[in-house]
Amino acid sequence: METTRFNKITSLWIITVLVLFVVAITLGIIMRLNQSELITVSPITFYTDMTVHGLTMIGIWFVAGMAAVNFIMERYVKTSHGVNVFAYVMTVVGVLLLWASTFFGRFHAGWTFLYPLPFKVMWKSWATPTFYFSLAVLGVGWLVWCLSLVSSLLKKYSLKEVFAWQHFSKNPKTETPPFVLIAMISLVGIITCLLAAVILLVLTFAEYYSKGSFVNDALLMKNLTYFFGHTIANEMLYLGLAILYELFSEISGRPKWKTTWYVALAWNFTLIFILTAFFHHLYMDFVQPEGFQIIGQIASYSASLPAAGVTVFSVIVAVYRTKINWSLANLLFFLGVTGWVIGGIGAVIDATISNNFILHNTLWVPAHFHTYNALGNVLFSLAFFQWFSAKYGGGSQRWSKVVLWLLLIGGIGFLTAFYIGGADSIPRRYSSYPEVFATAKTLAAFGALFATVYLSGVLVFFVNISKRCLKILLQRS
Amino acid sequence: MFKNFVAAFIILIPAIILRADRQNMPNLREESNIYQKVYDAPLRLIDGEQARLHQMAGKKPLVLVLLFTRCTGVCYPYLGQLKKQFEQIRQVENEPFQVLAVSFDPRDTQEDMQAMAGAFSLQSDSLWQFAVTDSIEALTKSLGFTALWNEELQQFEHDAILIGLNQQAYITRKLIGFRSNAEIGQLLSSIHNVFSPTFRLPNPNMRFACFDYDPATGRNKPGIGLVIIALPAVLTLLLLFAIWLRTRNKSSNSFR
Amino acid sequence: MQYSILMLFFVLAALLVGIFLYVFLSSRQSNGQLTGMANALQKRFWFVLILFSILAIFASVTIPKSPYFLFSGEQPSKVVYVAARQFYYVMSYQAIDPASPTGESSIELNTNELVEFRVTSLDVNHGFAIYSPHNELIAQTQAMPGYVNRLRWKFSEPGLYTVYCLEYCGMAHQAMKTTITVK
Repeated sequence: METTRFNKITSLWIITVLVLFVVAITLGIIMRLNQSELITVSPITFYTDMTVHGLTMIGIWFVAGMAAVNFIMERYVKTSHGVNVFAYVMTVVGVLLLWASTFFGRFHAGWTFLYPLPFKVMWKSWATPTFYFSLAVLGVGWLVWCLSLVSSLLKKYSLKEVFAWQHFSKNPKTETPPFVLIAMISLVGIITCLLAAVILLVLTFAEYYSKGSFVNDALLMKNLTYFFGHTIANEMLYLGLAILYELFSEISGRPKWKTTWYVALAWNFTLIFILTAFFHHLYMDFVQPEGFQIIGQIASYSASLPAAGVTVFSVIVAVYRTKINWSLANLLFFLGVTGWVIGGIGAVIDATISNNFILHNTLWVPAHFHTYNALGNVLFSLAFFQWFSAKYGGGSQRWSKVVLWLLLIGGIGFLTAFYIGGADSIPRRYSSYPEVFATAKTLAAFGALFATVYLSGVLVFFVNISKRCLKILLQRS
Repeated sequence: MFKNFVAAFIILIPAIILRADRQNMPNLREESNIYQKVYDAPLRLIDGEQARLHQMAGKKPLVLVLLFTRCTGVCYPYLGQLKKQFEQIRQVENEPFQVLAVSFDPRDTQEDMQAMAGAFSLQSDSLWQFAVTDSIEALTKSLGFTALWNEELQQFEHDAILIGLNQQAYITRKLIGFRSNAEIGQLLSSIHNVFSPTFRLPNPNMRFACFDYDPATGRNKPGIGLVIIALPAVLTLLLLFAIWLRTRNKSSNSFR
Repeated sequence: MQYSILMLFFVLAALLVGIFLYVFLSSRQSNGQLTGMANALQKRFWFVLILFSILAIFASVTIPKSPYFLFSGEQPSKVVYVAARQFYYVMSYQAIDPASPTGESSIELNTNELVEFRVTSLDVNHGFAIYSPHNELIAQTQAMPGYVNRLRWKFSEPGLYTVYCLEYCGMAHQAMKTTITVK
């Protein structure tokens, strides 16, 4: 069972994530405001903000998913509290180093830090190794955490059980809870992509310290970068789904979801699709072997089948004409699924190579991944935060309608500006827009406005949740 | 325990790094006159026949070799090397082509070329043809090829060069200097109008490319770089297996 | 084409919002009608089958339209060499020497003439994205150091085309562009 220790560390994670979320959203709003020319910051400031915004967002929602999964996992197996704390410390240190390299060192190679850009030093020379070192610190903390959780699972479940393979036979003797299955699948995927990041860092440091005698292949580095980056962003969403499978029915007052043969099948296949979909980031690199490009499109398309056919359909079945105890937490889950599916449509469209030819690196790209996050995965994590803090810290849900409407209206408005921008061929990652893109500045202004609405929803939420979490944190054991 | 795996992994990486990838630097003279039509030079072949260049290309796409028989420089070693390479390449190359050696020296006659071919026993090799032309200047100009006469040495200074001509007599590719079979394979692909959306610029400091060009199939084959991309998945499976082995002996708890 | 993609997206998004709203509202009816979904497994099976078919159709229609082998059977009339670097493009009808990159002051092409762009980068990853005179993105490829990407294109409309860098390359990324005149 969950001990007070885990309540505390989880509360600490929640507060930290929410603080960083508010900071990162603010940076994003500054970016959109600059693009709208309602304010002016220097390009270096813009790109530094962009680097921090992207990495902080991916980082915090990843650790939020991990923290939630760790907490829930305690219902099934004993996990290491020490490793959880270790991961927290490494995350904080990593983020601080990242911020040092960017805000002080002016490192602005972007949150995808695509080789060889970090080597073209247009910032303080110490910023490049500091940046890579911050990634190494984060990676070590997260890898150790993942391996520890996998160890915990394998102590109790056999290899066959943890992947729910026994569900392929009639009348399986044991049942693997859906949460365990999804957590395991996600952790395996995360370990793989973190190892890709390790290789990437090894190659990077090798070149950095070789003083020119060893040069990396830009294509290999790009493949490794997106193997890591795409996969971790996807996996953090799946961590959120693991929580959903566990908590949605519980919060709704319905019987617990069970693993069936098609749930097991879907999630096992998901692992394969998730590890091969990253090729869709290299469609416009004609240097990639054509086979890989096609694998990218097929894997990206295929990933939507288990997602829609199992998870989304199960949510719909669970809700359709069923008495649900609707509260803020399961509403957030439900809305998150809607946002996730819509983001998925934008993604499948862009994952089509012939479309990507005219959409790649336009605002369509941030449109779809912000949909996945701001109105998808973030809502899954917020649902967990809400459930956790209410259950262990007490408190009412007085402001729930306000929070929901602010998040929805803000999110939809913010995202619509991106989608229209993409259709208008407006480039992404531009600190300012050429005059010929007539709609660009207006769309940026709308984006900033609605993002502020979204932020206000987040702030209300932040205040309520943090109050409860602080209470938990300061409880006497 | 997984420290062992980390250690093994760290040992593996330098082993991979030691693989060197030596290639020549890119030569910009290879990029001139691409997709331009070669001059339709009248040729006199060593078997006595006369032909025109476009007519020959129309029958089979051509690999043009430019040399001269009084060469004390690169021509003979180059020809010898090419003979060996084409002997290997013709075993795997499915599409027909012809290698045409043409002299750019006005002194060279059909007999001179015959002797040159004979020096390498190529005079009756179906893959090879040797010729002279009276329109040297027009031909070399259309190819973007220059041979500078060195009065002191009484020699032409020129590139050792292969020029690919497709059946429509367009220049598709040039290769300067001694090149690998793989690169000649790329040239052959280009004269067969096989389009490759990309090619890699050689870099002596670049290790593990993602893929290597395979002339036998005309496609890109996995290189060591791809092995590196597969590495994370392989390592994860190993780690998983290791963790499972370690925890296998613990008795499983009942469900809570 | 971007416009039709956007419309498709909005239609599908609206449809999905409608479905989820309907499902949500169905759970708030009075107790008597809360019977859940009949034949859920069967419906699930049909749903997956239909989705799979739609995706399979889209995949088989769109994959052959991939831009890697555009005009690969035709002979280009012109080759334009492009070397991208922070923060400008060097474009030339001749190959570009990385040691001292020089290019044409302007590139002029003709309509309906097949052009092959050979794009590389002299430093970091850049993009080479061609925008029509109406500021619509019509074709692109990446510029990767150490590689040459070949993009073949036929311009059907005369006018001034702008090329923007679409791959983030540093602090002047937003200012990196060049133009091509098509007669």
